[in-house]
Amino acid sequence: MKLKLFILLALTSLFVAGCNQQTASNANTSTKTATGDKKKIGVTLLTREHQFYKDLEAGLKAEAEKNGFELIVQSGDMDLAKQQSQIENFIVQKVAAIVVCPADSKGISPAIEKANAANIPVFTADISASGSGKVVSHIASDNVLGGKMAAEFIAGQLKEGGDVGIIGQPEVQSTIDREKGFKEEMAKHPNIKVVATLNGGGVRDRATKAADDMLQGNPNLKAIFAINDDSALGALASAETRGKKDLIIVGYDATPEAVAKIQAGTMLKADVAQDPKLIGSKTIETISKHLKGEKVEAVVAIPVKIVDK
Amino acid sequence: MTQFSKYIILLAIVIQVIVFSILSPEFLTVDNLVNVALSIAITGVLAVGMTFVILTGGIDLSIGSVLAVAGIVAAICAKSFGDFGILVGLVAAISVGVVSGLFTGITVSRFKVPPFVVTLAILTIARGLSFIIADKYAGSTSVSDLPSGFAFLGREKLLGLPVPVIVMLLVFAIGWFILTQTRFGRYVYAIGGNSEASFLAGINVKSVTTWVYVLNGFLVGLAGAILASRLGAGLANAGMQYELDVIAAVVVGGTSLMGGKGSVVSTLFGAIFIGVLNNGLNLAGIDPYLQKIALGVVILLAVLADQINKK
Repeated sequence: MKLKLFILLALTSLFVAGCNQQTASNANTSTKTATGDKKKIGVTLLTREHQFYKDLEAGLKAEAEKNGFELIVQSGDMDLAKQQSQIENFIVQKVAAIVVCPADSKGISPAIEKANAANIPVFTADISASGSGKVVSHIASDNVLGGKMAAEFIAGQLKEGGDVGIIGQPEVQSTIDREKGFKEEMAKHPNIKVVATLNGGGVRDRATKAADDMLQGNPNLKAIFAINDDSALGALASAETRGKKDLIIVGYDATPEAVAKIQAGTMLKADVAQDPKLIGSKTIETISKHLKGEKVEAVVAIPVKIVDK
Repeated sequence: MTQFSKYIILLAIVIQVIVFSILSPEFLTVDNLVNVALSIAITGVLAVGMTFVILTGGIDLSIGSVLAVAGIVAAICAKSFGDFGILVGLVAAISVGVVSGLFTGITVSRFKVPPFVVTLAILTIARGLSFIIADKYAGSTSVSDLPSGFAFLGREKLLGLPVPVIVMLLVFAIGWFILTQTRFGRYVYAIGGNSEASFLAGINVKSVTTWVYVLNGFLVGLAGAILASRLGAGLANAGMQYELDVIAAVVVGGTSLMGGKGSVVSTLFGAIFIGVLNNGLNLAGIDPYLQKIALGVVILLAVLADQINKK
C-alpha cells in the first residue's frame, strides 16, 4: 500500500509539473501574439522567491525596455527539469537569445546544447554553467572575490585571531565560490581558524538551526561568515536568542533588511554587496551587443563591495 | 507490536547519544540538550497535528506554506497592534491555520478528494499567497523589525526552558490526552483502521475527519507564530519542505502511513531521533553532503526495521 502512495506521489508531481508547463506555455503564446515584431529574450531565473532575483529581474526588465526587447521571464523554482523544459519552450518559440540562471551548473548543459543546435545564443547570469554546452557570456558578481573581502573584513576585526565558522549552501556554485574565496583568504591568517562549515540551505529558518549547533559546538567562536543574508539574519537570530554579545557576523547581498541591522549596531557587522540590478542590466546590454555582431567578453564580472556601519 | 517498535526507536536514540558523545565533547551537555529540544520544537508541534492526520489515513503536504502565511500574518499584526500585538498576532496566525484546515477537512471529508491532492494544491496556493502578502505589505520577501514584545513566543525562557520547548511539550501532552483518553481519540484510530466500519458503527466520520484537519491547522498556525517570533520576522520562504521533515518524524517514530496505528509518543521519539541526528552530525563537523546521505539512510533503516518487526 505504501508503494501505491509513492506511485501516487510520483504521478501527482508529474501531473502538477505538466499543468505548470501548460499554463506557462499558454501565457507565453498570448504575449507572443500581442507584440509579434519585437525581438524576444527568454529568461529562466533560478527562483523568484529571493529578493536578489527580484532585483535582477527588475534590472533585466528596465534594460530590455530601453533596447526594445520583449522579455519572457520564467522561474525555474530551483528545479533543473523545469528549467530544461523552459529552455526547450524558448527554442520552440524561436527567441533571439536565452538567459539562464542554472539550478544545476553541470546538469543544465544538455539543454544549452539544444539551444546551440538551434543557433540561439545562450547567456548565463549570476550562476555559471559547465559542460559542453556553449555559453556566449557569463554575467555575474565575482563571488570568489566577495568571499575574500568578507574574510579580509573579519581578519581586520580579529587582530588577536580566533575561531570562525561558515554557514554555507553547498548545493549552489556561486555560494560554493564565496566559501572558497573566504577559506583561501583565511589561509593567509594563521591565527584565525575555520572550525566549522555547516549547511544552512540559504534560508533563514534552517540557517538559524545550523547557527544554533555551530555556537553550541564552538563556544569560543568569534565570527560567522554567512553566504547570503537570509543565512546571516538566521545566524543573528540564533546569536541574539543565545544572549551572545560579541560575535561578528558578515553576510552577503546587502538586502535592505540586512543593511538596517548593520546600521542598528547588531552583531551583523558587514555585508558583501552585490548589485543584482546591474547584473540584470549588464546581461541585456551584453546580449544587445552580441546581437549587433559586436564582440563580448566570455565573463562579465560585476564588482562587489563591503557595506559596514 | 507498536510497543516493540517504540523500544526500537528508543534503542536507536540511545545508540546515537553514545556515538555522538564519543565524537564530540560538546554533545552531552545540558546546554546542548536544550539546544536539541529547541531545534525540534517547531517540527514537534507540527508533528503532533500530522500524527492525527496520518492516523486517519490522511496526509497534509501544505503545512510548510500555511505556516509561512501564518507567520507573515502574525508579524503584520504584531507590528500593527502595539501592546496587544503578540496576542492579536497569535490569534491571527492560528486563525489562518484553522481556516486552511477547515477547508482541507471539508474538501476531504464531504467531497471525497484525496488529502494528498487537496493539500498539494494548498501548498502552492499558500506559498504564492505568502509572497504576495509580504510583497504588498513590506515590498520584500520578509516582514521584519517586529516589536520586542513579540519575541516572547520564540526567544524567551521560562523556568530555564525556551518557550517553544514548553509549548511543544504541552502540545504533546494534550495530543496524547486527546488520542488516548477521549472518545474523539478512539474515533480517530477507528477511522484510520477502517473508515467504512467506523461509519457503520455510527461514528460521524466526516465530522471527526474535518476536526482532525482543523486541529492540525491550529497547530500549524501556532508553529507559524512561534517561528516568526524566533526569527524576528515573518518570512515568505519560511517552512520550505517542512512537510517532509515532519512526515519523516512521524514515520520514523513508527506511525503507519496507512492510518490507524501509531501514537504521539512515538512521534515525539521520531522527532527527537531526527533532531539528535542533525545536531550530532553538525557538532561532529560531518560534511554537509554526507549528512544528507546519513539522514536518508537512517530514515530507510527506521522504516525497514518497522516493517521487519511487523512480520
